[in-house]
Amino acid sequence: MKTRVLALLAIAVLAVTGTAFAHHGAAAYDMAKAVTVKGVVTDFQFINPHVLITIDVKGDDGSVQKWQGELTSPNHLARAGWTKSTIKVGETITLMGAGAKSGSSTIWIRKIVGANGEPVSLGGGGDN
Amino acid sequence: MRASLKVSVFPLVGLLACALILGAQSSKQDAAKVPSAPASPHDLSGVWTMHAPASARGYIGDTFTKDEPAMTPWGEEQYKATKPSNGPRTHTLDTTDDPVLRSCLPPGVPRIYLQPFPLQIVQTPNEVIILYEYDHTVRHIYTDLQKHPDDLTPTYMGHSIGHWEGDKFVVDTTGFNDSTWLDRTGHRHSDQLHVVERFQRTDRDTLQVDISMDDSKALAKPWVSQLAFQLKPDWKIMEQNCADNGSFANFEK
Repeated sequence: MKTRVLALLAIAVLAVTGTAFAHHGAAAYDMAKAVTVKGVVTDFQFINPHVLITIDVKGDDGSVQKWQGELTSPNHLARAGWTKSTIKVGETITLMGAGAKSGSSTIWIRKIVGANGEPVSLGGGGDN
Repeated sequence: MRASLKVSVFPLVGLLACALILGAQSSKQDAAKVPSAPASPHDLSGVWTMHAPASARGYIGDTFTKDEPAMTPWGEEQYKATKPSNGPRTHTLDTTDDPVLRSCLPPGVPRIYLQPFPLQIVQTPNEVIILYEYDHTVRHIYTDLQKHPDDLTPTYMGHSIGHWEGDKFVVDTTGFNDSTWLDRTGHRHSDQLHVVERFQRTDRDTLQVDISMDDSKALAKPWVSQLAFQLKPDWKIMEQNCADNGSFANFEK
């Protein structure tokens, strides 16, 4: 099945972000493997240690592949205004970030763009 | 007579209540107009979050200095044997031997500052309490003790006593076990670890913490670092449980 990878981001974009991983390191992700996937949200878990978003990505041939995205902790996102209802099942979003070294359909999310084309704030709130 | 008294009293009570409410609101508005006074340097209370200078952002989430600490041969050997999740020698969650990630052990001091969550300082007459958001970790820094008790039982977070030297709150911590790491990149310590922290509120919104780690078995000379924290008046300490991390051990395989 052909995965609908929309674009590859510049390696530097991820390289400069440094130690943004929260409770663990980046071993599972290839920071040079920038991935963008667009799909329909099927699950949103606002949980510790990291928030998870699952989307169905439709390929050019009509097949559907499930992608799971990992975010930072719910506490950090709550301080940026997020709640357990910020991402809704059924909405179409775009996830951008680093792909998994294992080749699995998993992404460390660095940016989210909503259905309206606007980026969804992932907050800042200091270094932690 | 009673009926007329009731009738006459209720409007008065109502007026009084209105006056109190309006007065309170007015005071609140007045207070909001007044710029906040500079904080007392001896007031460390509040919720603080790490705020590293740009020059330190490449490493401060993982360790304390850009350069490696000066280690003893024993410390070097121990360091090389660890399999950290964070830092340049990163391992996946199912292969790391980081005691915090593998077993949810308390991070110890000073590693607790590198766990990426805010902290709250509470000052009481007899102790300063630090409530770290990470895994509900609590430190009691006793200000009513002149010295550590003899024959301390080793613990993950050690035993802390504190006193003021001018505008600096000096915290001396000892009595550690050797089960924790100094940082998130796998630098180990022995039960000889001795940590001194100097807290200074350099302005209303900034807390500077100078840290010195001394361990004759693991470190060839004291490892010193300086951390900076930013006051977050609107933040509350939230729930964060290390036990939840277990659900991610398989996620990243």
